[in-house]
Amino acid sequence: MIGLESMRRLATGLALCAIALPAWSQDPPAPAEEGKDAGDAKKDDAKDDEPERWFAIVGGDVHTGTGEVLRAATLLARNGKIHSIGYDLYIPPDTKTVDAKGYRVYPGLVAISSQGLLGNATSDFDDTMDPFNYRMILGLATGITTTGAGSGAVKLKRFAVGGAVLNQKIFATFSWSNSNPRGKGELREKMKAAAQYLREYREWQRKVKEEKELPEPNKRGVDNSVLAVLQGEQTAKFVANDRDELLGIARLAQEYNFRPVIEGCMEGWTVADELGRAGARAIITARARRPKDERQVLAGGASIENAAMLHKAGVPVAIKPANEGIDLSGLVGRDIMHLPLEVGFAIRGELPDKAALESITIVPARILGVSNRVGSLEVGKDCDAIVTDGDVLHYKTFVQWTVVDGKVVYDKEKELYFAHIRPRPEAPAPKKIDAGETPPKDEPAAEEKPADEKKDGDEKKGEEKKDGEKKDG
Amino acid sequence: MVAICTIPAVRAAFFALAGAVVSCALSSCASSRSADLSPLAPGQPGVAIRCGRVLTVDEDDRVIERGLILVRDGRIAYVGPDRAIPAGYPVADFPDAWAAPGLVELHSHIHGGDINDMVLPVNADLRASSALVPANSAIKRACAGGVTTLFGIPGSGTSMGGFGIVYKAKTHATFESCVVRNPGGLKVAQSYNPERRAGDLGATRAGLSWILEQYNEDARAANREGTSTVGLENLQRVHSRELPVLIHSAGSDGYPAAARMWQVDNKTRAVLSHGCFDAHLTAPWLVGTGAALNVGPREIDFTTTRDGRITGTAARYLEAGARDLSLNTDSPVVPQEELFLQGAVAARYGADAYTMLRAVTIAPARVFGLDDRVGSLEVGKDADVVLRSGDPLDPRSRVECVYIDGQVEYDRRQAGQWF
Amino acid sequence: MLRLQASILAASLAALVATPALAGGPLVIKVGRAETATKGVIEHAVILVEDGKIVAIGEDLPVERGLPVIDRPEWTVVPGLVSAYTRIGQDSEGGDDMSPDVRSRDELWPKSPDLRKVVEYGVTTLGIYPAGNGIPGLGVAIRPLGDTVDELVLKDPTYLKIVMRADSASKKRIKDGFKKADEHAEKVKKAKEKWDKDQEKKAPKKEEPKKEEVKKDDEKKDAEKKMAQGGEEPEAAQEPKPDAKDKDKKPEFVPPAPDAKSRSFVELREKKLRALVSISGAAEYLHWLDALGKESINFDMRIVLNQDSDVFYVFDKKTFDLDVDGIGDRKIHAVVEPLLTFTPNTRRVRNLPLELSRAGAKVCFTPRSDDLPNYKAWLGHVGELVGAGLAHDDALRALTIQPAELLGVADRVGSLEKGKDANFVFLDGNPFEPATRIQAVMLDGKFVYGEVDQ
Repeated sequence: MIGLESMRRLATGLALCAIALPAWSQDPPAPAEEGKDAGDAKKDDAKDDEPERWFAIVGGDVHTGTGEVLRAATLLARNGKIHSIGYDLYIPPDTKTVDAKGYRVYPGLVAISSQGLLGNATSDFDDTMDPFNYRMILGLATGITTTGAGSGAVKLKRFAVGGAVLNQKIFATFSWSNSNPRGKGELREKMKAAAQYLREYREWQRKVKEEKELPEPNKRGVDNSVLAVLQGEQTAKFVANDRDELLGIARLAQEYNFRPVIEGCMEGWTVADELGRAGARAIITARARRPKDERQVLAGGASIENAAMLHKAGVPVAIKPANEGIDLSGLVGRDIMHLPLEVGFAIRGELPDKAALESITIVPARILGVSNRVGSLEVGKDCDAIVTDGDVLHYKTFVQWTVVDGKVVYDKEKELYFAHIRPRPEAPAPKKIDAGETPPKDEPAAEEKPADEKKDGDEKKGEEKKDGEKKDG
Repeated sequence: MVAICTIPAVRAAFFALAGAVVSCALSSCASSRSADLSPLAPGQPGVAIRCGRVLTVDEDDRVIERGLILVRDGRIAYVGPDRAIPAGYPVADFPDAWAAPGLVELHSHIHGGDINDMVLPVNADLRASSALVPANSAIKRACAGGVTTLFGIPGSGTSMGGFGIVYKAKTHATFESCVVRNPGGLKVAQSYNPERRAGDLGATRAGLSWILEQYNEDARAANREGTSTVGLENLQRVHSRELPVLIHSAGSDGYPAAARMWQVDNKTRAVLSHGCFDAHLTAPWLVGTGAALNVGPREIDFTTTRDGRITGTAARYLEAGARDLSLNTDSPVVPQEELFLQGAVAARYGADAYTMLRAVTIAPARVFGLDDRVGSLEVGKDADVVLRSGDPLDPRSRVECVYIDGQVEYDRRQAGQWF
Repeated sequence: MLRLQASILAASLAALVATPALAGGPLVIKVGRAETATKGVIEHAVILVEDGKIVAIGEDLPVERGLPVIDRPEWTVVPGLVSAYTRIGQDSEGGDDMSPDVRSRDELWPKSPDLRKVVEYGVTTLGIYPAGNGIPGLGVAIRPLGDTVDELVLKDPTYLKIVMRADSASKKRIKDGFKKADEHAEKVKKAKEKWDKDQEKKAPKKEEPKKEEVKKDDEKKDAEKKMAQGGEEPEAAQEPKPDAKDKDKKPEFVPPAPDAKSRSFVELREKKLRALVSISGAAEYLHWLDALGKESINFDMRIVLNQDSDVFYVFDKKTFDLDVDGIGDRKIHAVVEPLLTFTPNTRRVRNLPLELSRAGAKVCFTPRSDDLPNYKAWLGHVGELVGAGLAHDDALRALTIQPAELLGVADRVGSLEKGKDANFVFLDGNPFEPATRIQAVMLDGKFVYGEVDQ
């Protein structure tokens, strides 16, 4: 089993390596000749005289977020974009590097929504965000590099304003609630009117080529948000949890041909197939708690299996914690700082590991309309990455470095918050041997082991020792 | 050898002892009581549970790969490596699951009903047992989260809330079938909460402490004279160390004050509950008093100490040498079924993960005098066994099946996944 | 050198003594120690004051017989303190958030009792800033004593105050301000074009005889004819005539004066005026630079310190790898309260004025708040920072010469140097020791506080 799995990974790694190699084997970084990047390079250089900025995360197990794992690979970025991922890459001189040997590298996490990470800003983020506030640091310490904010997406660009807003207005938010039946009717009417207008408009577009005088259809009374949704310019977002509500949204979406995003979606598991067919995307809290409405005969209430069942039915799932802000009151594990823990609860409900990682990376990136830039580690995308001391979804794992746009913006050892917890061992320095000490024998053997297992081994050894000491005492 | 499981490698690997102790587990069985390997008589309740790994959480912290647990009459008859099953046992097979003792919670308010009687500041003769609703929905979820034994207690609205009840999280139960000990122990609240709104005299900390001391003095006097005072009978049992006392307290002011009154001055079997905010600053002194610490529901401190660090409180008490430290949820403050998560976050913020497993199993059982029955998987103890898909502290591990007193109280395959 | 100074002293005294003894007649002050703020410390200092100015200062200068002498070997003298950012004694309120034309000079009230009081605390120069939010107007530098506004004013205006907050409105105000300046520039351009045209209209008459091209001459004549007939502008006038400019001495083009609303921003752009930008956090510094965009102006910072201030993030570019230059990198003036703060969310003490100073900024202290108790405690509060590591000399400069530079009056006040105004604070010891008391204060050569016998 282990053989197959690692062979598959190795194969993927080699394949990627093969892709990366030709460009490099021919010429070290002469950007003008680099095929795909050449255009960008020229553009960049023309735009401003900023010198080339190289950055590399070296030697970590790179989890690209697209399913591949490249063991002990290197991720190289140029001017904030991922330039290549692979093995034996040429690292230009003056490249800033992070030594990630024994660590894992993941794409920066995408919080579908959050509170306070951008300071007290609630809108106009370019003018109001606070890239120094401690909640942003804690967000980066969690591994979050992009967050949904307002109805758009903003990067956690620490120490910089401007250029952080990736997307201004992706969502058009509508209400579809059992507590407001009239609202449902009104939305349906708006959909109808907008669809009618669109039909007429397209008809007019076709005919106007011949009949130049044909008047443009009247747009009066057409709801702009609804029109934007039907034209695919904006995404319809609903906050709904009840089975009936979800079914209603699914039907509406199929009738008017749009892909809704449904936040909450607690009873989604009861109608997962319908939501899947409607092309819905779900934003859920894995641990959402809601008792079944006993008046209902059908299944209902919240379920820990919600994420898994939605995923199985083809509904992309983004996960958010119960508390979107940073909670330092001491009640731990429910806020945005523990986003990966929340995902753990979705795995508990049998969401596959890959979908679990995607629920806080590429899926929210897609929902926010920014998956062309963030959400996975792929050549050409923004170099937003995290380096962790273990599986990002494990409860003990800490983010050691967070990188945004090819720049280290968080280093666990350099901030007060977590530096004291399992401090990072210094880069292995030549070991001093005292007079009475025997030279270490097992070190070469340890190096041969895959980084992942070696780390585990070390950790075990440390804990054994600790425990032993305790017993002696 | 642990690394054989690839994906859950990290999940598995933290269990430092897993690899290390197996060998000694195979060679020696340190349990005080000897295993009963006789056949199960027809009609006698029992089950043989086979599983991938057993975390006994016993004195030797035995971890057994491919283990077997024999349950007879609701108690454990054998726990050890897989072996030939004596005749008559039905077999329950969980080849990939980890078996661990049911979790033990000492600070819980989900037993049912109102938890605070707000008329008098001291309620030495009230009992939470009057309010117990066996197998209520919160208890059922707790069971599905692997919690099997709870100390259900009055709230912290008054300085002496009354006596709590120790019961099991059975999903089908009567009062009689789930109660372990009644009264299970006293509940006292000493800082913050009772000061807010309790009776006319006990509106301040000073007033409350004075009243408590009066009661303690009366109980001690009655014990000295060998008499029994009406309304103080149970408090007398606390002072004769027959029953433990759980004291709600927190902060660098309140926590040591509680230790002084109950551990140092009155020499009761004190369990200091909460210990939140900046109480960890007093950890060395507290540990020196020998008082048992029951930490939670807040597991980190940042805003009180303000030294810029996010401090795991349990880690700080452990560094100071705390023994038998236990964790709580103060449910419903933290949902009862997430007791394991308190262990996970305590481990995240600096405590040793295996010690945190002890902190939700054997440690609370021991400080509350329940370790003869629960808290570990040992021969002769109650068969409270939780089978999970992995590390008991990891949120990703599903609870597959929960046995309490040898009976299946939750089976995910039968009942669906409750949590 | 000493001798040289001494002889100058003698010479000047000789000249001065001859003149009738005015109120500002010559006076010799001998003190144990003079901290000049710019030229180090002078032990056994002798200062000659005349007409409100320092005529000479040096160590143990010989003094001409017959001159009035104040001899206080136990005293230390420092320059009169400069409070560059204050509203003490002012009581008007801010109006429109976009009032770059408002002048603090217009609200001065010479008889304010607070102004008289701060003198006792050693303050001899004040920079008044305009009240209000947004862009409230222009500051003014004053001496605290005088009967009329004109007597008070040292410099007007000093700086344009701009309050920068992390909001869209703040950025919009700045953009609007420069837009006004753009409009003015456009106006100037048009006026210049018109003026050029006018010049060209006048030009042909003089140039006519020199024209060689017949055709053009003809055109000119036509044009002139048209003009004579009261017609429209001649087309030919639009053609460039390079030789015309060289030949004749023309009157200078006088650009139209900016109107009140645009003047401040025009002058900012022309670097005739500095901005004092008020921020309260690191983010606001970046937002300020963002709002400024490509505009190149001179500015200083007012940094409002609070307990959890995070401005240290923008003190220099290097420490936190900023994309832009930090406050210290720019070597600009930074007005701060003498306050020890905490690293945000902690009780770890920080000495931000010290950090600012180390980063390269020129710190200017302002009292912790604009009231008399804090003025009275000002030296003591700065002393706390000195106790926490701020260098004595840096602290003194941050109370004297640096705020004087910020106000643009460093040629007159802020240090003990020959030629500067005789503004002195006499103390019975180290200015930053808690036990030290102010013994006397001199403003423009006159004792305005303290019992001083000659």
